[in-house]
Amino acid sequence: MKGLRGLAVGAAALAVAVAGCGTSASNTGTAGSSGPKTLTVWLMDGSAPTTLTDALNKEFQDSNKDVTVKYEVQKWGGIQEKLTTALTSDTPPDVIELGNTQTPKFASEGTLLDLTGDASNLNGGEWLGGLKDSLTWEDKQYGLPFYASNRTVIYRTDLFEAAGITAPPTSNDEWLAAIEKLKTANAANPDFQALYLPGQSWYTLLSFIWDQGGDVAKKDGDKFVGSLDSAQAKAGVDFYKKLVDASGTKAPKDTDEAKPQQMEVFGTGNVAMMIGLPWELGGAVKANPDLEKKTSAFPIPSKTAGKSAPVFLGGSNLAIPAGSKNVDLAKSYLKLLSGKKYQDQLGAAGTVPGTSKDTASLASNPVGKALAASSANGKVTPATPKWAAVEAGQNPLKDMLTAYLTGAKSLDQATGDANTALTALLGG
Amino acid sequence: MTAVETTDAAVPVRTSSPAPRRAVAGGARRRRGSTFDRLLPYLLLAPAVIGILWLIGFPVVSVVVTSFRKLDLGELVRGQVVWVGLDNYAKVLSDPRFWEITLRTVVFTAVVVATSVVVGLVIALLMRQLSTPVRILLQVCMLLAWAMPIIASTTVYQWIFDQQYGILNKILVKLGFDYAGHSWFSTGTATLSVIGLLIVWQAIPFLAFSLYAGVIGVPADLYEAAGIDGATAWQTFRAVTWPELKPLLMMVTFLSLLWDFKVFTQIWVFKEGGPSGGSTTLPVLQYLEGISQSHFGVAAAVSVLMVVILTLLTVSYLRKLLQTQEGKL
Repeated sequence: MKGLRGLAVGAAALAVAVAGCGTSASNTGTAGSSGPKTLTVWLMDGSAPTTLTDALNKEFQDSNKDVTVKYEVQKWGGIQEKLTTALTSDTPPDVIELGNTQTPKFASEGTLLDLTGDASNLNGGEWLGGLKDSLTWEDKQYGLPFYASNRTVIYRTDLFEAAGITAPPTSNDEWLAAIEKLKTANAANPDFQALYLPGQSWYTLLSFIWDQGGDVAKKDGDKFVGSLDSAQAKAGVDFYKKLVDASGTKAPKDTDEAKPQQMEVFGTGNVAMMIGLPWELGGAVKANPDLEKKTSAFPIPSKTAGKSAPVFLGGSNLAIPAGSKNVDLAKSYLKLLSGKKYQDQLGAAGTVPGTSKDTASLASNPVGKALAASSANGKVTPATPKWAAVEAGQNPLKDMLTAYLTGAKSLDQATGDANTALTALLGG
Repeated sequence: MTAVETTDAAVPVRTSSPAPRRAVAGGARRRRGSTFDRLLPYLLLAPAVIGILWLIGFPVVSVVVTSFRKLDLGELVRGQVVWVGLDNYAKVLSDPRFWEITLRTVVFTAVVVATSVVVGLVIALLMRQLSTPVRILLQVCMLLAWAMPIIASTTVYQWIFDQQYGILNKILVKLGFDYAGHSWFSTGTATLSVIGLLIVWQAIPFLAFSLYAGVIGVPADLYEAAGIDGATAWQTFRAVTWPELKPLLMMVTFLSLLWDFKVFTQIWVFKEGGPSGGSTTLPVLQYLEGISQSHFGVAAAVSVLMVVILTLLTVSYLRKLLQTQEGKL
């Protein structure tokens, strides 16, 4: 008996050591007290240029006396976990930015304020379709589109010229040929990489899979099931390997484009191409201003000559957490941001503005031009709240790429395993 | 441990307070006094007990309760309580991956604990033999290693083992081995080996210092006697050091077991439990279920199962711990 009691005590002590999942949730409505207020705004790293946010915050503070905007820039890495914690706390931020693939999860769980009634106030007629779908859950809008963007091939014009490439490649074969030419022309530089392509750049993989006519998952009744084991998806994965092998990229095969940040590698000047977003080029130029005049972009080529591959339409939505204490202020902040003045600035910064159909400002630079050319062919990941779990946890697409690229698994095995894992995540 | 201390503290209160009362003799008053006396120690204990229960007991109960609930992001935000009985446990236990992960966690913990305790013990014994300046140098080095934040040392290890720029591969290539571009994280076992090395490295200072304290506590005349009897170094260790050190050694082994079983930070920072889930341990599973997928109920069930597994692993030690305490009391 005593032994048992002692065991129970010991077990309790162990429980203490491992505990860490307790919860408590309580939500209070909006507090209407007057006096100085702080509006906490979380935008993401690389979203809006600081010139825009500085002007926006200043204008907002000037027109709302006693209000301070606490503007914080968040990193993409681990943001879902941070948002989960923040949104369930008693003092969430008042305005947040959400990736479009993450929005359904938060919208479907009632963590965001329903903005359906305010849409007309927020330039609702001009919302970008692809993003509007991502923030709509059961016919209600839980945010507003911020901006959209997609990957293009960012390249060095001077290196292309030196290698004798007159026009940017418009098919996969031309692309591979250009890589060979670049390698020959730069054989003297041991650090040269014709294309920087890390092993887990899975948004890039999406383009190749879609280009071959495949998809990552298909709808089966009201559920999604993985379709990575289709011949088309396999062909996409295979082309990814072809690119990695042909380019001789020194990028690690077991990390994505953020580890290390590919823009930093591109900034070293030894890389001729990277598949990235406009803000990544901005980062590279900031680190190495010489690159500004020597860079341009072309749409990701397709297997069919003359076409461009479908691209993942990445983007962000803006939302107000359901537990925000400053709902009215947050709404007027978003109203200001959704106005044409700031939307044009977003376009000029090289992204497709979310609440303005006027994209003339976008075509003012070569990257924006390539972006606009390919965004017409933009696609999104399966629109299910479960998709967020794929990105936040152990992404099967990443594991699949690493396993196949390093030779740990055959193409059939890698895609098969990833498909099983993906189906489990989307079903669970 | 805390419970034992509080009981000890209560004893003097009980024995000292009745003394003056008894001097003032009187039937009714005496009975009232004795009720008060009987309650007094509990009243004095109450604030501490309530504090402990609130701070420690509540989270434990909360985890157990949560494990019987369906608690996803929506339920959490709405404050909704949905009871699902044993569904969470059924879900976890029916997943073949769970057993694979459990086995991996147990083996990983055992190897890491054994290695770190043995190396810690060897260093502790070594320190007794070293001259003072060398020993102090060693101690300072270990202290610095110990003081290094976990994330910082994890980052350093990541760079040491980096495929392209890692100093380890560079050195191996210089020494003539074909390790250019070798990936140390190609399989789960390889990844866990590197992480295990890091954890052992982080654990050694504590173990070495604790065991060294035990080693210098062994009376010197015992060694003298052993020397006179002509005992070899090994015999001296078996007959003198080992018996003196054994309780302490068991204690630190037990603590290491607790710490290493629930290691999360290093594993997650290294490869997020990859490649292909190959270095996923129970704490990582808990994180994936709870934070990544927002199934907090399932994560709580994993926590409870972890406690059960840990209890089973440490059952013999817990029993011994109990016996010694009963002997003392």
